[in-house]
Amino acid sequence: MAILEEPIKGIAEVKNYIDGEWVESEGEIQDVVNPVNGEVIARVPISTKEEIDTAVEAAKVAFPDWRRTPPVARARCLFRLKELLEENFEELSRVQTQEHGKTIDESRGETRRGIENVEVACGIPTLMQGYNSEDIASGIDEYLIPTPLGVFGIIGPFNFPFMIPLWSAPYAVATGNCVVIKPSSEVPLSQMKIAELVDEAGFPPGVWNVVNGGRTVVNGMLDHPDIEGITFVGSTPTAKDVIYPRCGATGKRVIAQGGASNFMVIMPDCNLRATIPAMMTSFFGNAGQRCLAGQNAIIVGDDDRFYNEFINGVVDTAKKIVIGNGLDEEVQMGPVRDTEKKTKILSYISSGIEEGAKIRLDGRGDFKIKGDYPDTCFLGTTIMENVKPEMKIVTEEIFGPTMGIIRVKTLDEAIKICDDNPFHNADAIFTSNGRTAREFKYRVKSGNVGINVGIVAPMAFFPFSGMRDSFFGILHTQGKEAIRFFTESKVVIERWP
Amino acid sequence: MPLNTSASVISFAKQLEADSAGFYEKMAERYPKAAELFLTFSKENNKYTIMIQRAYYGVITDAIEGCFAFSVETDKYTFEREPAKELGHIDALNQAIDMEQKLISFYTDAAEQSKAFMADVPRTFLIVAKKRKDREDKLRTLLKET
Repeated sequence: MAILEEPIKGIAEVKNYIDGEWVESEGEIQDVVNPVNGEVIARVPISTKEEIDTAVEAAKVAFPDWRRTPPVARARCLFRLKELLEENFEELSRVQTQEHGKTIDESRGETRRGIENVEVACGIPTLMQGYNSEDIASGIDEYLIPTPLGVFGIIGPFNFPFMIPLWSAPYAVATGNCVVIKPSSEVPLSQMKIAELVDEAGFPPGVWNVVNGGRTVVNGMLDHPDIEGITFVGSTPTAKDVIYPRCGATGKRVIAQGGASNFMVIMPDCNLRATIPAMMTSFFGNAGQRCLAGQNAIIVGDDDRFYNEFINGVVDTAKKIVIGNGLDEEVQMGPVRDTEKKTKILSYISSGIEEGAKIRLDGRGDFKIKGDYPDTCFLGTTIMENVKPEMKIVTEEIFGPTMGIIRVKTLDEAIKICDDNPFHNADAIFTSNGRTAREFKYRVKSGNVGINVGIVAPMAFFPFSGMRDSFFGILHTQGKEAIRFFTESKVVIERWP
Repeated sequence: MPLNTSASVISFAKQLEADSAGFYEKMAERYPKAAELFLTFSKENNKYTIMIQRAYYGVITDAIEGCFAFSVETDKYTFEREPAKELGHIDALNQAIDMEQKLISFYTDAAEQSKAFMADVPRTFLIVAKKRKDREDKLRTLLKET
């Protein structure tokens, strides 16, 4: 089967999109490298404080008119954007693969998930309705009007360059706010492509801005008095120690989504035929670089026959995973994003071994790459047995294609391990017993809970949840919670004497 | 090597549809009496391709097992892209029936493999399999009349 054509030819020059114009940055320029082959595919600016200030000013100026634009008219802009995203679906997907390394199935999945958020936001005329009470006292009525606030900053991570900013941006603009998006400087092309389509869709200048860069841009957003709120997806240290407290200090609303160390609880009555592929996707999909990825499997019970059947099944399947260029449709796992991340993953595997884990499948060197590509950013799949809950490979986020195996005797022990972990993003159980599933769902303290589902990715009309060290804030991205986040409740009490 | 990913199986299905469409176009050229029917089949193939692609693009998400949903051994389902030159009409019809059976088998097997993972895709595969079964019946009727 042929390798799909790359949409980015040569080296793309990424610019900022401010006030409806493509603007060159004065900041230093960094290379964007395709992790599959090490080729430079773009150059991205690391924008300056002045440039983020200009973008915020443009958004601030655009806000009054955009806020006065009726929700139905704002929705029509989003409908046009949705149509353009559909028309460009394949190109957008291939760009993600080229800049990130994920497989084309994963990229198409990401495109679909991103578009779904635009679709949901298209319902803003009804989603943004308030409510009222007539005659709260004789002749006096009271009602609630959700009102937009102004300018929001959206800070995206490297692992889902297309989708994650769309967890916020469509809702922010649908509700009448203006946005400044900062994509990850490692993967800026998807947001550049979206901004091109935003421009074509006819959004007024200043409503949707993209400023590329790093810490200077983030700090510029955090410190800017005209930014009303920030949504952030990234690591827990940044979410917890930087974004959340600084938004608090400057009175900004905040959604700060951090890392994860998720558990897949495997009951001996699970359907192995369905569970094993779910394990592959959960642990090794996106090369493990997602906050919903399984990091450790907890096998419940003392049935050695089941344990061996499960382990042999996952090891045999994981061994056969086709690793290579994500634009090759037969490839099941691409590279990790860069060498720094690869080194970090390798250090976690070493740490696991030092702490007593036993390597069952070694993805550090014992793997084949389909096609003639350097192994710079590639890793195989690693499976480690004899993992204990206190090991670093459980208590910290690895963000790579690894699976730890923990054995416990009871469901209670499994739930305790989930609950004692500092992260609480997504945990799942695999079982054919409804009562067991309910017990797990009821008791586990996790933001996103899966039952026979390995990637608990909420649809756009549900919030993307998370708890404890995986989430800092109150409201979440996506759906009705996003609408609530991007609006203030204005309560009016009205009397006409 | 078996095809495991949704992307590769969808591309394979599209290729089978294109090859089958080409087969019927050749049949229409060689056997003008039934040309209308064969050209209808060829057009239907394009419709099936669109149906399959829509189902895939509509349902593919990062939450399903898109890279692990299939285990399709392609050799089982490949067929000659055009009727053999030396064949008479009856043998050519038999070749077409044989091709349809392989396609029915492909769609049924692929639907069974992915039914727990891919939502609308296996459903669409089964719809196409059923349409092809109808087509097989039409070809058998034509065979009897020939």
